[in-house]
Amino acid sequence: MAFHLLDRDRRGGETLVTALENALKAIGHCERCRMLAESALCQICDTAGRDHALMCVVESPADVVAVEDSGSYRGRYFVLMGRLSPLDGIGPDELGLDLFEEQIAGAEIREIILATSATVEGEATAGYLAALAKNHEVAVTRIAHGVPLGGELEYVDSNTLSRAISTRRALDAD
Amino acid sequence: MSERRNVDSEPAFILHARNYRETSQLLEAFTHNHGRIGLVAKGARRSKSPFRGALRLFQPLSISWSGRGDLATLRIAECSTSANNLVGTALMAGFYVNELILTLLHRSDPHRDLFAHYTALLAGLADAADNVEVVLRRFEMALLSEIGYGLCLDRDSVHHAELSPSQRYEYRVERGPVPVDATSGSDMVFTGVELLAIGRGDFAEQETLSSAKRLLRNVLEHHLGGRPLKTRKVFASMKRRI
Repeated sequence: MAFHLLDRDRRGGETLVTALENALKAIGHCERCRMLAESALCQICDTAGRDHALMCVVESPADVVAVEDSGSYRGRYFVLMGRLSPLDGIGPDELGLDLFEEQIAGAEIREIILATSATVEGEATAGYLAALAKNHEVAVTRIAHGVPLGGELEYVDSNTLSRAISTRRALDAD
Repeated sequence: MSERRNVDSEPAFILHARNYRETSQLLEAFTHNHGRIGLVAKGARRSKSPFRGALRLFQPLSISWSGRGDLATLRIAECSTSANNLVGTALMAGFYVNELILTLLHRSDPHRDLFAHYTALLAGLADAADNVEVVLRRFEMALLSEIGYGLCLDRDSVHHAELSPSQRYEYRVERGPVPVDATSGSDMVFTGVELLAIGRGDFAEQETLSSAKRLLRNVLEHHLGGRPLKTRKVFASMKRRI
């Protein structure tokens, strides 16, 4: 890309520079959910039509985009910008948990959906957040882990399959 | 460095993983015959990666890799038995032990006995019936003796006489127990009874267990050479909020 811009498209390069400069200057973090935002509140927190009593906790802005793309969620988010990773020295102070605790202490939140990753650190984060929420009147749920749609069992890795079986759910026949 | 280019089906655990480039991971693994090694797992974060679901901390693995030097390339990673499911305090203990191994073991030094102790430690941490503190103290003692700093808990280091249960001793790192009188107020003073019980690995008494914690914490701090443990700092700030 560097060669292309320098040899053939210097104007394009300038456009890119301006765009990056603007992005770096204008984009900060939403003061409510810590998502990347151009104003004090991000678009999602600023939308009246969403269910603000439902809070989905994710690790990164990319996760917010992934959940939004699924089209199935109409609540708000809380972006940790990381996960508990004791070996890297990343603890509650690095994850904005003051803000998290402040918000779950308020009356507005009804349910917290823990959508941290399915890694050991992601599980540790979810467990810790659930412990923090215990003292408040708020339901805590964890996203399900299991067999991908269209997936055949013989090709699913054993850890995922064992989780899918241990967290199976009752099926109601209509 | 090792001349070997290919290693196949080696029992191993992942101690630490961090993301590398767009889709890969850099791993620190603890293996049975090759000790601690550095690996790159190419494409490990892709949704179609063959490593997916396997490269979890505390998961008993069988791995194959190629290459020499400090960073080899992971070729195959398979779960050898089901995962050790650690939660709460036991999970935090697991992180702490991983940091101890990463800090105190050199790369490519085989520690086969310690590998067995680590395997037992994880099983103990996953078993709710076991006391996390006891499991941890046993592993710390095994780790110290494996790296050549084993505790001396049967004889005093002045007269080389057997420890007397009623005598008080100050434990000096890299030397051993030194008899002291009852007025000594050092953080490293223990009774003979306590030291003998710790030496036998008998932690039935709560007193012994807390003495062992104090003793091992001081000895480990000495061998860590003043490097603070990140896991300890993180746990302290986690506990403050709960």
